Amino acid sequence: MAETAVKEKEPLFQFGKKERHLITDPLNDNNPITVQVLGICSALAVTSLVYPSFVMAIAVIFVTAFSSLFTSMLRTYIPKQVRMIVQLVIIASLVTVVELTLKYLNYPIYKQLSVYIGLIITNCIVMGRLEAFAMANKPWRSFLDGIGNGLGYGAILIIVGIIREVFGKGSLFAGSPIELKIIGPTVDYFINTTDSALFGWYTNNNLMVLPAAAMFIIGILIWIQRSYNTKLVDVS
Amino acid sequence: MYTTRYVIGFILILTASVAVALTGLREVTKNKAAQNEDIFNKRAILSAIEDYLPDGKKVSGLSDEEVAQIFAQMQQPVLNMQGEVLDGVQAETVDMAQERKKPEAERRLPLYIYEHNGENFYILSVRGKGLWDEIWGNIALKSDANTIAGAAFDHKGETPGLGAEIKDNPAFAKEFEGTKIYEDGNYVSVKVRKGGAKNRTHEVDAISGATVTSDGVSEMLYRGIKYYQPYLEEIRQSEKAQGLLIQ
Amino acid sequence: MEFLNTFIKAAFIENLVLAYFLGMCSYLAVSKSVNTAFGLGLAVIFVLGITMPINWVISEYLLSENGLFGVDLTFLRFILFIAVIASMVQLVEMVVEKFSPALYAALGIFLPLITVNCAILGGSLFMVSREYNFSNSIAFGLGGGFGWFLAIIAIAAIREKIRYSNVPPALRGLGMAFILTGLMGIAFMSLMGIDPAAYASN
Repeated sequence: MAETAVKEKEPLFQFGKKERHLITDPLNDNNPITVQVLGICSALAVTSLVYPSFVMAIAVIFVTAFSSLFTSMLRTYIPKQVRMIVQLVIIASLVTVVELTLKYLNYPIYKQLSVYIGLIITNCIVMGRLEAFAMANKPWRSFLDGIGNGLGYGAILIIVGIIREVFGKGSLFAGSPIELKIIGPTVDYFINTTDSALFGWYTNNNLMVLPAAAMFIIGILIWIQRSYNTKLVDVS
Repeated sequence: MYTTRYVIGFILILTASVAVALTGLREVTKNKAAQNEDIFNKRAILSAIEDYLPDGKKVSGLSDEEVAQIFAQMQQPVLNMQGEVLDGVQAETVDMAQERKKPEAERRLPLYIYEHNGENFYILSVRGKGLWDEIWGNIALKSDANTIAGAAFDHKGETPGLGAEIKDNPAFAKEFEGTKIYEDGNYVSVKVRKGGAKNRTHEVDAISGATVTSDGVSEMLYRGIKYYQPYLEEIRQSEKAQGLLIQ
Repeated sequence: MEFLNTFIKAAFIENLVLAYFLGMCSYLAVSKSVNTAFGLGLAVIFVLGITMPINWVISEYLLSENGLFGVDLTFLRFILFIAVIASMVQLVEMVVEKFSPALYAALGIFLPLITVNCAILGGSLFMVSREYNFSNSIAFGLGGGFGWFLAIIAIAAIREKIRYSNVPPALRGLGMAFILTGLMGIAFMSLMGIDPAAYASN
């Protein structure tokens, strides 16, 4: 690693305006999910609870950041004819690292995410960033770009997760050590619907638990975002 | 353009180094991962007797060591379909998914006997089919081998919010507590009834909107507990004898 | 018979797009017109139909404990599966370029996108976790591809029509496509739980 990095002329770990932009841009103007429409599949499947969404977000940030870093370091050596396969091998091995690490650290979450961990490989955000950015930029900036896009993706994942879990289950962070029970029919919950005069009518919304709910929520998020950020409006 | 030799060489070196690195990582994490899986499965079995754990703890409150310790203290016979205890096998080594693929007569049945405050609990493992894929569960019977002390279910891919409620909604498993599998000495099992349970001793409420999964649970319980019949009968006989003795 | 059951199940009841929401990226990006959607859908059927049995052979004879090497190599499945998929896509790309330059021009950058179509890799991973046998893996591949094809044609047709409706500007295009897919997903839920095998035996 060190040899390739030394070849760069400018300071290695510069963090100026340009670099900050690499992180903040994907959070709104160039959000991978709502603007670039990449990586939707996992956004739908794992977001019925916040905790798995959070773990998924961390995993994606890890994979985008390091695959960008490695691809960028190897970019001058990668033969153009097989660059997709090379990129995929890099991504797939990083995802395998994620899988093995999760099995090691937190088995229940590994079980819950099941095949969707593997699907990080085909999360188009990762591939898309490698093609669009890492193949043409220096390692440090590619790394930041990877983190930025991972964060933009993770942010949407967690927003959708919070909405779906609060309205679908009445809890937050279920399955994690800091589980919060907000509203539900037993005494464990913060608002107990069985004896509360105000919330007696309340029941969880089962629609929120279905994957289709994630489609509606993302659709509405896009709507809100584009109402404020009119330059994104689709003319077609 | 790169030469073909360069391309092939590049790919080979890349894949080889990646494969070596991953194999190394797997070797390092393998034992802990296997142990995690083991504890995960054991916790699932213990959730059937959640109300009777030592010191009134919940399954999530137990440390990995405590889980392992509880299993070390349990008797773990493995039965054949005739109800005979097989020699030299521990229940925790039986993989229910593999057993289900065998012909019925050759299946092995794991049984966990848990003791709490001098009372025996018998934990049975059952496995069946839900809407999309397999469902399974662990049923704890009290020492009379009749009353259900607790149940826990899981599934491979039921619909979230509908069939998946057998696992996600604790109220469903809770309903089984106190139901009985025998009526006047005849095996009847416990049924998941659509439209609400009428006879609370042998029926529980179905999950609305998940008819196929609910029927799957009924079928799984009926067939799965029936496998244990020969053994349960023995326990019931000896319990009865003991009861007479005390009187 | 089992072949047909798995095919029908994969295509309609467990539709990769509308029941599992897999392959969303290219599904949303390429569904603006029916023509391109048609081409991409065909390519997906082809790639799924080919990669599924190949990946089945790999997972059964290379990666499993009873396989060629005698050790459990399942942790390498991601890399091998994706390598098979990437090479198959490259092959399709070459074939399409040679025999139908028009289609090639229309699909353009989307062909390589099939590689990162979650439905392809997801299909292979589902196949492993559901323990299909060889012929079922072919049926699952073809059926899953056909289901994906139907779904993308359906959404493309709706999106072509909806252009004449008065959708709020900020919701136009992408936002609406999401909501439409959600509605189609809910509609498809009414098919779930239907077991073709049960009808065949009755």
